[in-house]
Amino acid sequence: MSDQPRSAIVGIGRTAYTRNSGRTPLAMAVEAARAAFDDAGLPTSVLDGVTCFHTMDSAFPMDVALALGTTELEFSNAMYAGGNSVAEVVRTAAAMVDTGICKAVLVYRSLNGRSGARYGTVAGPIEVPGEMQFSAPHGYMLPPQWIAMWASRHQAVYGSTCEDLGQIAITQRGHAVPNAHAISRTPITMDDYLAGRWVNEPFRVFDCAYEVDGAVALLIVSTDLLPDVKSEPVWMLGSSNSQSGVGWVQWDDPTSMYSRSAGPKIWQRTGLKPSDIDVACMYDCFTYTVMATMEDFGFCEKGQVGEYFASGRATYGGDVVVNPHGGLLSEGYVHGLNHHYEAVLQLRGQAGVRQVPDAKLALVTAGAGPYGGANVLGKDKP
Amino acid sequence: MSDTPAASADDWRTIPPQPLPDVDSQGYWDATAAGQIAIARCAECRAWVHPPIERCSACGGPLAFEQISGNGVVNSFIIMHRASVPGQGDAPHAIALIDLDDAPGVRLTGRVTGDPSLVRVGDRVTAHLIDVVGGTYRIPEFSRT
Repeated sequence: MSDQPRSAIVGIGRTAYTRNSGRTPLAMAVEAARAAFDDAGLPTSVLDGVTCFHTMDSAFPMDVALALGTTELEFSNAMYAGGNSVAEVVRTAAAMVDTGICKAVLVYRSLNGRSGARYGTVAGPIEVPGEMQFSAPHGYMLPPQWIAMWASRHQAVYGSTCEDLGQIAITQRGHAVPNAHAISRTPITMDDYLAGRWVNEPFRVFDCAYEVDGAVALLIVSTDLLPDVKSEPVWMLGSSNSQSGVGWVQWDDPTSMYSRSAGPKIWQRTGLKPSDIDVACMYDCFTYTVMATMEDFGFCEKGQVGEYFASGRATYGGDVVVNPHGGLLSEGYVHGLNHHYEAVLQLRGQAGVRQVPDAKLALVTAGAGPYGGANVLGKDKP
Repeated sequence: MSDTPAASADDWRTIPPQPLPDVDSQGYWDATAAGQIAIARCAECRAWVHPPIERCSACGGPLAFEQISGNGVVNSFIIMHRASVPGQGDAPHAIALIDLDDAPGVRLTGRVTGDPSLVRVGDRVTAHLIDVVGGTYRIPEFSRT
């Protein structure tokens, strides 16, 4: 990051998060994008870059641009990636502006994650290439299995428990209760959590993200455009990434994730420390992802995350508010871009009843297991 | 009319996922077909490389498949209480990550036979090969020793 930032996040937009949108990912991406432009007070004509991540389930940048009236893009990148690349896509968009290649870059994620193709849905004979060819024949091929496997190792090595995972689910659901945009707002108790059906042990249904249909968009523009922007800009203070091809089976130590290197790197690069952070939007495809990454980013010691949540340190009045929107577990699984949306909302002071008082710094993480990254966003211009 | 019943259009609902080998991984499947478990190993620096690729990731040397015992230790395990994937038969059952004795740093996955509630991290196991229904492939399954 240069000393004088040349980009800022000035627009956020989203659709409703639903179980069955009845719409195309293109239509939802365009709605979220127009909302982001309206939020910033900028015309869509400034757009010269569009980027997204997808798993062959979305609309492509050129089509989104066309639907917004733009027929020429300087930057058009659809990264084939899951939630591991959210931070990377946002950071790359900012870099395109920082380097002067683009003036205004739109980042979006749009998918019918509930009504469209879902993980674990079988529609015909399955043939599995690549890394998973060795484990798919005995039925080991789904994200809740991979991450439960890592959680099980953590339980054996550090003595963490299902109740510890439950504390994360319960806290985040509590945060979602006042969030009108969240898909799942009914409070849960430990009894409710433990009565949830097994997905695969040690994960119950409340350990898993709530898949939804929907779209989120961010607009990142050059500081040259700020005089025309009506929103309060939010600043990218630092970023780190650790993407590994080692995979879910061969990773040496499943009690830590990508964050064992991405965590220390982001503190070193920003000069910040975990206790400086007001809002932590921790990627939470599953509860154990929050557990392992909270440890790796240095919020607490190994094996202490359950107690950290149980004692209120991860909520209002504690050390840091973790996923004030309810996260992917309860607000909805828009593949993690909704974490950046929430961070911007909180830093602007526009989060309403769930506003974290005096929020100035937000950590946004993305990814799980061997691959992921993080961004630190700030209210004040660095 | 054949004596063999015609394949049902719904067979894919009950047939487990089949591997789709490529040139790099074919040797692994050839070995299991011959009753062995074999892992790719560098002919020059002796590093084990799994999943198999064309050249050694450590030194770029040529790889060849080398038979291993199939003995190892449970690194971690999960219990499947219901079938999430076709063709997985009885539930509950345990699926484990196995650290291999003979190829340090390499893991295989597989079912652990028997009562899943008895499986623990650190259990010693040994592999045996079973047929994958619906094709010609064989995969390891592990028994606690």
